[in-house]
Amino acid sequence: MMRKLLLVCAASLISVLVIYAFSAEEPRADFTYVNPSGIHTLDPARMSWTQDFRVALNLWEGLTTWDPATLEPISGAALFPPQVSTDGLVYTFTLRDDARWSSGDAVTAFDFIRGWRRGMEPGTATDYTFLFTDHVAGAAEYVTWRRDAVATLTTLKRLRDGWTISTDQARSIARLAQVRHLLPAISDAASASAGKSDDAAGDNLVDRLASLSLDWGRLYVEAFDRHVAEFGARFADVGIRAAEERTLDVQLSAPCPYFLDLIALPIFLPCHPSIELVRERHRGGPITAEGLVVYDPQWTKPHYPRNDYPGLITNGAYRLSDWTFKRRVRLAVNPHHRDADAIACRTVDMLVFDNISASIMAYEAGDVDFLPAMNVPYDHEIARLAQSGTRPDFHLYNVLATYFLNFNCTSETVSAKPNPFVDRRVRKAFSLAVDKKSIVENVLKRGDRVAHSFVPPDTIPGYTPAAGLTVSVEEAHRLLAAAGYPGGRGMPVVELLYTPPDERVCQALARMWEERLGVRVELRSQESKTFAEDKANQRFMLARGNWYADYNDPTTFLDCLSTGNGNNDSGYANARYDGLLTEASAARDPVARASLLRQAEAIIVEEDLPILPILHYAVPIAIKPYVKGLHANARLWFPFRYVTVER
Amino acid sequence: MTRLIIRRLLLGVLTIACIYVLTFVMVISLPGNPFQQGQHNIPPEAEMALRARYSMDNNWLYFWEFLGGAVRLDFGPTFTYNDWTCNQVIASALPVSMLIGLTAILVAVMVGVPVGVISAARRNSWVDVTCLALVLLGISLPTFVTGSAMLIVFSVYLKIAPVGGWGTLAHLPLPVLTLALPFTAYIARLTRTGMLDALSSDFVRTALAKGASPRAVIWKHALKVAVLPVLSFLGPATAQAMTGSFVVEKVFGVPGIGQHFVNAALNRDAGLIMSTVLVFATLLVAFNLIVDVLYTRLDPRISEAV
Repeated sequence: MMRKLLLVCAASLISVLVIYAFSAEEPRADFTYVNPSGIHTLDPARMSWTQDFRVALNLWEGLTTWDPATLEPISGAALFPPQVSTDGLVYTFTLRDDARWSSGDAVTAFDFIRGWRRGMEPGTATDYTFLFTDHVAGAAEYVTWRRDAVATLTTLKRLRDGWTISTDQARSIARLAQVRHLLPAISDAASASAGKSDDAAGDNLVDRLASLSLDWGRLYVEAFDRHVAEFGARFADVGIRAAEERTLDVQLSAPCPYFLDLIALPIFLPCHPSIELVRERHRGGPITAEGLVVYDPQWTKPHYPRNDYPGLITNGAYRLSDWTFKRRVRLAVNPHHRDADAIACRTVDMLVFDNISASIMAYEAGDVDFLPAMNVPYDHEIARLAQSGTRPDFHLYNVLATYFLNFNCTSETVSAKPNPFVDRRVRKAFSLAVDKKSIVENVLKRGDRVAHSFVPPDTIPGYTPAAGLTVSVEEAHRLLAAAGYPGGRGMPVVELLYTPPDERVCQALARMWEERLGVRVELRSQESKTFAEDKANQRFMLARGNWYADYNDPTTFLDCLSTGNGNNDSGYANARYDGLLTEASAARDPVARASLLRQAEAIIVEEDLPILPILHYAVPIAIKPYVKGLHANARLWFPFRYVTVER
Repeated sequence: MTRLIIRRLLLGVLTIACIYVLTFVMVISLPGNPFQQGQHNIPPEAEMALRARYSMDNNWLYFWEFLGGAVRLDFGPTFTYNDWTCNQVIASALPVSMLIGLTAILVAVMVGVPVGVISAARRNSWVDVTCLALVLLGISLPTFVTGSAMLIVFSVYLKIAPVGGWGTLAHLPLPVLTLALPFTAYIARLTRTGMLDALSSDFVRTALAKGASPRAVIWKHALKVAVLPVLSFLGPATAQAMTGSFVVEKVFGVPGIGQHFVNAALNRDAGLIMSTVLVFATLLVAFNLIVDVLYTRLDPRISEAV
């Protein structure tokens, strides 16, 4: 009896699950490709990954876009080229008459302002806010004002609710007039040392604040209402203005020769007004209680019934037709797009395969038409098949990216040992002793290019990277001896920090240094998130690094090593280098500018060596022979609207 | 019986609470930044704003907010998949894992128990030795080996199953068989041991002496006792199978919940780590409770003991 009951229960549970799991299958899309790890986000303001960019730029269209063959900026939702003032500071874009959202509404300049503002707001944006603060007039001031306000409002709210606060939070409200006059002695010291979180002055400040008998609730409401009142006026000072519905004026803080290339990136995409239906509000204001601009994260879904929200509306060649978590994204032609009738692939499926080997098998079985990533443990074999021509459907693309090592140029000690790499002679010696060719050809064998410079050659028009160094063990010995380590004697054990996929390269490097320089190298492999944190905080002697170009200009690489840059993991600082970059940014003549940038690059790859460039990536991809219109390019940018499938 | 269930339920709630506290402490003491996504280091001011958004600027606040949400079955946002909530992630992945796990356990019981019984009944015969060898193989072969082997044989050479993915019934058999194999082997071994014990006990000898047929004695009387250790194994095993296997999901590209266990920890996705752990803990407690209840039904001696 019992057994039968159990069986019936199990059987019915299984059938319910079967029905739940396998709902009716749709017919195959016109074009199918694989995105190995799935989509992190479809919110253009929060995107960080190429694979997300690829979907976003098929769904939306910015003021400009890139030609898939040449990567030159071309007309997007705006006419091309825009009007540019003679000083290069004001761009006037006129939107196309036929620029349409997938709902049929016209795309307006206000939609761009809405989208760009999301790219600056601390609640909605993450990685690419710097593109606004670096280039758009008034954006840096606005973002600082907003971030300060969020810190202040959050802290006041925490104090009101009786929670303890951190020293950073304490500093943020010590600036408030109502608080400041109560602690005159301490607030100056505290705000002066802002940024260093756990010092005594900060702790003292937290205690002092907690002991004040202030009405935090009242202060919070005052601060909140004042901030909401200024919210619109402050943004009006940012150099993005709509003269009329179809005209957008952008005022830059300094001339930017690659601005038209830049604004094709997802962070510069427009946003349909319907998003305001799912905005979070507090006390009737446009921000949350913490002062953040927050939209319900579900706004990127094709269907999301809340406040009559119509689901995601986009202005690109495609609209989002379906999105199942970690399984599939389906794009369908945006019927209101100006070229809708000319697009051959009416539906595109993006499938998720966590296991790339499985996606290759699916490609071989014919279930998939295109693989934009094939980084498998046997990628050298795939590279061989591509290079030998055995598999004409496998292609190797040189991408705008560099794999390198960071030398820690700043910390005198690392894990209680003296750090020899603060001496640039040691850095140069270690660089001279590395046979990069052997790493590329004998260790990895993936068809990557040997890197002598930080900026990859042959990809950025008008720029020839610095020559870099060639292998010279004698010179390396001379430099080591000059630095006080003749024959490697007296050199502390060198720690090399990396993540598991770098194992083979790092072993080869360690062996080269041990054999050629007589030093001892300790390999330390770390899980990636821990690694990223240690690297960003200079807790290493040598650490693996890589950088993918954000836009098509040498500064996307070179800026990383300017003093105080958030991505300057080496902690490198050289006033001459910074000066050349500043000079270049002011130069109006492209040839002079390129020459200044090249001089700057020469400092880092020939003299100071804060980094040791090893290789520029080549990425293997697979395209079925019957797929036409997918162009080879260094940014792996694939607009599906030009694709035809002739199965 | 009711007292037993109530006591076990209270104990279960206490267990889950302890697991939550421990997980929370581990999550907040992990090195690494959940908000860093791509190649850019996140500016400290931007990170402060994001922490404020998710109430993660204060550990106690976060502890109570997450707990409050969890009690209402709202696990909040994930940091890795910004557009989805933990609830959506679990709702999409858990049924897949439950389906595979439950089917696998069913297969394991239906194959494992008979194999164990036959093996014990023909002790030391060639049947027994073959079964033992197969069992040993099933327990010692890791699933990534058996899974990949099945994929190559059935999908690549014989082409009778899809290479991977999820969406049709044809996607079900390979992951289920792979997952079921070690469970089958273990159940077979447990049944065999239990059966050997039962066969040498007094009540079986009495039954045989009274003239009952050996077949009836084995399948009716002895099995009831022999299967008890299998039953206690089945509680945690079912919970384990239903909460997904990272390896099986990875090999077959199945969108189950096992991958989220592993990836959430790697991504420092606090909300997703804690919600998957809580779901797993709840299932484990629930299945142990069910097994305990079944136990008292099958073996009346136990109800007094617990």
